[in-house]
This record gives sequence, structure tokens and C-alpha cells, in this order.
Amino acid sequence: MTSYGWLFDPKRCMECGACEAACKQWNGVETGVNVRWRRVLRMESGSFPQVSVLALSLSCNHCENAFCMKACPVKAIRRREDGIVLLDESRCVGCGQCYMFCPYGAPQLNLATRKSSKCTMCADRIDQGLQPACATNCPTGALQWGRWEEIVNRGSDRIGRFVYPMQMKPHIRFVTEPWQS
Amino acid sequence: MITRRDLLQRTGAAALALGPWETAFAEYFKPAKPALYPPETVITACGICDSACGMRATIQDGTIRFLQGLPEDPHNEGRLCAKGTASAWIKNDPDRLKYPMKRTNPNKGFDQDPGWVRISWTEALDTIAERFRAILDKHGQEALLAISRGSPPWFARLYSALGIQRVDHNDLCYGVDIVMQQRMIGAHTFAWDLDNAKYILLFGWDMMGRAKLCLANRLLHAKENGARVVNFNPLWTPTARFCDEWYPVRPGSDLAVALAVIHVLLKENLYDKEFVEKFTNFPEYEAQIRAHFEPYTPEWAEKESDVPAQAIWRIAREFGSTKPAVAPMHKKTLAANYENAPQMCQAIGILNILAGNIDRPGGHYFPRTISIPSLDAIYPPPAYPKAPTRRIDGREKLPLAGSYGMFSTIAEGMTKIYPGRIKGIFWTGYHLNSFPDCNGMAEALKTVEFMVLVDILPVDAMYFADIVLPNTMFLEGSDIISRTYNAKSPFVVVRQPLTGAPFEAKSAAFIAIELGKRLAPDYFKKADGSWISSSELLDEQVRRAGLGENFAEFRRKGFVAREQPFTPRTTFATASGKCQIYIPEFAAKGYGPLPSWRPKQALPTQEYPYYLITYLPGEHKRNSTQNNPILNEIGGTSVVQIHPQTAARHGIRDGGLVRVRSRIGQAVGPVRVTETVRPDCVVVPHGFGHRSGYLRVAGGKGFSDNELIPAQSIDEMYKRGNWLGSGCIMEAVVTIEPAG
Repeated sequence: MTSYGWLFDPKRCMECGACEAACKQWNGVETGVNVRWRRVLRMESGSFPQVSVLALSLSCNHCENAFCMKACPVKAIRRREDGIVLLDESRCVGCGQCYMFCPYGAPQLNLATRKSSKCTMCADRIDQGLQPACATNCPTGALQWGRWEEIVNRGSDRIGRFVYPMQMKPHIRFVTEPWQS
Repeated sequence: MITRRDLLQRTGAAALALGPWETAFAEYFKPAKPALYPPETVITACGICDSACGMRATIQDGTIRFLQGLPEDPHNEGRLCAKGTASAWIKNDPDRLKYPMKRTNPNKGFDQDPGWVRISWTEALDTIAERFRAILDKHGQEALLAISRGSPPWFARLYSALGIQRVDHNDLCYGVDIVMQQRMIGAHTFAWDLDNAKYILLFGWDMMGRAKLCLANRLLHAKENGARVVNFNPLWTPTARFCDEWYPVRPGSDLAVALAVIHVLLKENLYDKEFVEKFTNFPEYEAQIRAHFEPYTPEWAEKESDVPAQAIWRIAREFGSTKPAVAPMHKKTLAANYENAPQMCQAIGILNILAGNIDRPGGHYFPRTISIPSLDAIYPPPAYPKAPTRRIDGREKLPLAGSYGMFSTIAEGMTKIYPGRIKGIFWTGYHLNSFPDCNGMAEALKTVEFMVLVDILPVDAMYFADIVLPNTMFLEGSDIISRTYNAKSPFVVVRQPLTGAPFEAKSAAFIAIELGKRLAPDYFKKADGSWISSSELLDEQVRRAGLGENFAEFRRKGFVAREQPFTPRTTFATASGKCQIYIPEFAAKGYGPLPSWRPKQALPTQEYPYYLITYLPGEHKRNSTQNNPILNEIGGTSVVQIHPQTAARHGIRDGGLVRVRSRIGQAVGPVRVTETVRPDCVVVPHGFGHRSGYLRVAGGKGFSDNELIPAQSIDEMYKRGNWLGSGCIMEAVVTIEPAG
């Protein structure tokens, strides 16, 4: 069965936060408790004025070998046939292991409810033939989503100082070519 | 609103109770195909900023499930920014104003509980009409003031019918640029065809950082099409990511760079000779123009701007020899930041004229629109009474200002020049922290006897209002919106209510017509004597603009696009019929007809050694969206950005607190130490610092840049030659110290 993944092109990101807003709007993620399934990270390098700022919109990358899934003591995290990794909050005991083992910080613990939750890749939208909310609204096409076999060779598996967790096989690729002019 | 929990239950978690959990689990993780929402979506238009991007809204169980972009729309091309995406949260904000209310505590101020009491719409409208009538009868038109935009047209008609003055914010926005573009190219336009440009100079332009999609998409496509882009900005913004070169120009000296670029273009004759000779007044004033720019060498500009002379020579040569080349400008870009804003706007205008790009592909063009007849065209009013000439903002004292308001001088007018003159205020659509020296403005409002506030949220101004009226927001209203930013051929989109208005919120049309009936009935009647109505106006506008039989039909269509070929203009609506590099009308009034160098007004001193730089974060619309919990989580407070050297000098650490102090006020915020700002700058975002305790998300978070930015004095502006009325929103210098 086909699986899916993300393609991120950092040179097109304007850090507007539409991806995060769309994620919260569609999924009804609780606000104000610092649970942000998708968010834009900013990494500076160089020094003024030769500075460069890398922006990365990151969420769950639905790893083929998901450590969160292995780490979960109550098997609240499972993989769907199409590779989407889902966390069942009703099973979650709030131990935070999934968060500890994820290099992307994808599963996040709501300290008030002691439940973890994470990106579902908008599985409910995908089931209806729609794209995930974040990629639907991203204004510049910096964040794209699609079938993994169409994405896997379209970009690099690592970017900037971002460490690629090889053995986890995350479903994300980064476009590293600069603008052509 | 469907929550994730509901969703889990629907997709199988509900089965958990029925069988062994493994079975239920398998069920849960199997791709399901339930129809969670109807596939039909409704077309409407965003109302957060004036990009007014087309939206497709998914409605489920009477609430807005999701908002996404309208793919056919040339502004946003099927996408939305964070503000538009999250705007259902404004609609569903639990803090929204729900009913008309009146104050029971006569003492005003943030330290007072106004003692709000719910009243009926009838009581509210009758009271307002009675109080306004009494003020008009006793003190005249000068005593009543509207703090409001010129739209919606319903409010504008009410103000005109009463003959009262209206003050808007355009001295802080693009007022200066309106005057300048009218003089230079005959009309003000926001349309820039960056998509087809090959060389782009950005002076302070930051539409990527602001995520204004109608313009951000233009630069995006410019880069996709291989344009070379050069950016001058004291602050690294996300726009710089789309640029080939970034120069952290010294604040307020972009003008020096622009003048030097013009110097090189003239010296080396690198301008579009055919365009310049045929369509501009350059031939007529060539000697004066060449002599004027002679001293502005790149070597001179380097001393003023910190941009290397060699780079300016090269950039100017590239700009002059690449076609199409363009230097876009938009609102706060530079039209209101500094006292030299008029000179900067004119210099940018000259760059575009010399590049021969006015109304040409790849340049600055006039939008091709479908004209929507105005309210006054459809329901012609009787002659309006003459508005007072002595304005409270003193604008009439500036010889070259256009017909816009001045937030930067209104407090002085209310407290010093005409103390006690303003007895009544009708306030709508603005925030108190939009005013330079917002605390001074708050004091000025205390001198007003009777203030009416129309808004959707319990904003700061409420602490100074006597009656508040709950307004509807854009997802609850109807309108016809014509594209003006990316409009090489006409495109019109509908705005329609997605769900009903909550509680007792009413539209601007309702409020204006009901007050009009009570205060100036002749202006709110049709020819046959019946009352005018907003729905009939929309029907008539649709019919006369040729968009359909009536508004209902246009609603069903959603949008109308008319492809047409782009025919460049050959005449321009200036006094001479040509593009004017040299502005003779300015010379006739004793004002410089060509842009001369002048430094910004507030320069660093020993006491205040840093420039204050403000910016607009892309996740917020100025100061109107901070109470949205989604947007607040993306950007929640005023983070002060400083360079590592600056931080070290004051012993300030990243993530600590800093106190920023200017000559008018001080504020404390968290620090971000970053290499993306000049060491002589302190950078703060605009929009935070709401003080209203009724705003449960935004209230008390961060500070407003306007607590640090001084207001202006109208006589001082005149004396200093700020005759077009720049609001000077970055004319502040500050000092910093650790605050924990």
C-alpha cells in the first residue's frame, strides 16, 4: 500500500505560521497549553551581516521505524496500513516516553491532561482524498505533501545542522537548491 | 466545533467499550471513509487585511470547519496566511461583544471598572442620537468627531450627513505615498507586477514577513522566474530569504541609497530613454534634475547609509541595464516611518519612472478593475453640510497633505490646541495602541464627555467609551470585492455570511442607517421616501457592474473573472499629462520639487543610543488579532530583538527581560539575542500590549511599540517641513537595561 510524506523547501518559507494555524483549525488541537503539532522552527547561523536563517516547518514525519511507537509502554501508538503513525489519546498514560524518543518533538505532552498527542497527517482528510490542512494552506508551497515514492527522490534527507535520524527513516525530504537567477 | 476527541470517537474509539481493545484498535487504525464534512464549500472573501483573499469555507453543523484559499483568486492563488486560516476563531471568540452596553461608572481609565450594563438596541441607538444631537445643537459640528476609516460607506455617509470630521490613521500608513503618486504618475496604485520583473530593489519592503499574500506571491513568482532581488532593511526579515543580497542599511537612510542610485542612472544615462523622453517631464527639466542629483554620489551615500559605495555603483548599473526593473513600495514600507518619507516616496517613484516601468509589464501599473458603483452613486444624497475646516488633527495646516487623517497629532489637538472642543466621539475599527504615544491618547480620551465604540471585541478603547455596540465581523457580512493588487485583468469576488451573527451583533449598515434615521433622515431615504437598505444596494451594485441579475446570483457564482489584454497607458492623470520626475506643483508652493537628502529626525544620543525599529509579524494583523488563541500561540508577546554585542554591553542575556526606555515611556519584554539586527538597533514587534482586561488571551501580554514612540506636534511638523504629514512611526530612539 502506498505511503505518504512531506517535502519541505526552506527557501520558500516566510515563517507566516499558516501551517500551524491550519493544523490547529482542522484538528481542534487545544490552544494555550504549548501543544503544537506543527510549528516553524528558526535556526540562525553566521554572524551579522553575513547571517542566514533557516526556517523549518516541522511536525510528525511518520517514520518507518518510529521510535515513539517502540517507546510507548502501553502501545498507544500504532501505524496504519498506509504508514500513518497515530497516537490514541484514550490509551495514553502520559509517561512522556514518546516525546523523549522523538528527535522532532512530534508527540507532545499536555501537562494539564497528562495525555500526549501528535500529528495525524490529517488522516481523516487523506481518507477523503484531501491533503493535510497544513500543506493545503501553505502560501508559498514551502510545505508540500504527497505520495512518498514521488517525494523520496525530490530532495535531500538532511539540511543545515538538522541531524537526520537515519535508522528511523522519517518521511520528509528537504529541497536544498537555492533560487535560480 | 468538532474536537479531536469527537473525531476519535467517530473513527472507532467508541467501539473500544464493545470488544477486546486489540480488535477496536485495529478498527481505529484502519483507513476509514466516513464523510466528516460535506464536500461542498462556500466561497467568500477574507477581511483581515485589504488583500481580501478569496476563501473556500467548509461549513459543518452550522460552524466553520475549515477555511482555505480560492484557487482562482489572483491574490492568494488558493492559499491563506495564518491570520485568514485562523479567522473563525475571531468569529467564535468567547470574549466578543454580545449586546449593546452602557457605562454606569462615569470615571474613565484603565484603572476604573466601567460598570457595564446590558441595554437594548433601541435604548442604545436612542441615547446615542439624543446625546449627539444635544452636542451638535449646543457646540456645533466641531464638537463631534469620528475616529474611523472611510469605509464601510454607511458610516462615511453618517459622518458626511452630520457634517462632522473624520480622522483615520493614514499619516501612519500610506498617506504620504498617495500624494506623491498622484503628483508623479496621476493616481495612487498598489499594483506591482513583480512576477515579470527581472531586477527588484526592495527598500524596507517586507511583504513576506508580513505574509500579505497579494504582494508576497508577487515576489515569490519573481524568484521563480529568475529575478535578481536586492534588499535594504536594518533588520533581517523573511523577505531577505527571497533576496540575492541584503544590506542592513542605517535606519532612515534608505533615501541616501536611492538618491545615489538615481545619481548613477543619470550620470551613466542608464534610464529607459524612449519612455522617459515620451512620457515624462524629464526633457523639460533635464538640467535642473541632473544638477540636483549631481552631489548624491554612492561615496556620499555610503557615509550616510553604511551601504558600500561599490555595491551601490554595481546595483545601480544592474538596475539600469536590466529590464524590467522595479522598486516596489507599500504602505508602512517607508511612507510613514521617518520624517524623510516624502523624499523617499518620491525617490522610489523616480527610480520606477527612470526604469520606464509605469503601467508596463514588470512594473508599477494601474489595476484593471470592474468598477462597482458607490453608495452615493446609487442613492445620491442631498448636498452634505460643509465639514469644519479647523480639524482636530490640524491637517489643514500642512500645505501638501492629502485628505487623510493624522493619528500622530490628534492627541495634541484634543488637549493642547483645542482643549475641551471634542465633546463626542464615534469610534470604530481602531485600537488605542495604534496611536503614537498611546498613553497620551488615552489621557486625551478622558476629556471627552460621550464616546460610542463600535467593535467586535472588548478592546482597550472600551475603558473610555460610554456606550458600546457589538459589530459583526467579515465572516458574517456581505460585500462585493474588486481586486486591486494583482489586477492585470478584472476579478471580483463575493463576501457572504458563512453563519449567522452571534448574540445581538449588528452590521455597520444597520448601525449607520438606524442612527441616520434618528439624526439625519433625509440622507437615508430613497427618492420615493422609503429607507435605503444594504441588501438593495448590493443588488443594485451587482446589476450595474454587470456581475449578475442580483446579489443572490453573484453569490452563487462566487466570483467573476474577465480576461482582457493588457494595454499600457500612454497618458497619465497628472497636471502635465506626463509622469512627473520634477513636481512643479511643489515648487509653486515653496516645497522641493525634487527629493533632497534629509536625515531622519530622531538620531541616537548619549542618553538614547539606539534606533527603535518596529515590524509587523506575519502571524498578526497589526493589533487586531492578538486575542486569537491560535495566532497568539504562534506569536504571543513583544519579544525585543538585539544584537549580541548590544546584549553584552548591557549584560543582557538571551531569554532574559529587558527594559526599553524612550523619552516618552518605558516597557519591559523578553529578549531575543540575534545576529539578524544591526548593533545600533532595538527591534520590537507592533501590535501587542492590549490593556483591556476583557481580552482574556491578549490582555496584559507584551507592550505596545507606541508606548515608546512619541506623538507629533502639528506646528512643529510645519516648521520642520513635514508638509505631507508623515506619521514618523520609527522616529524614536531608546536606551535599554536588564530587567531580570
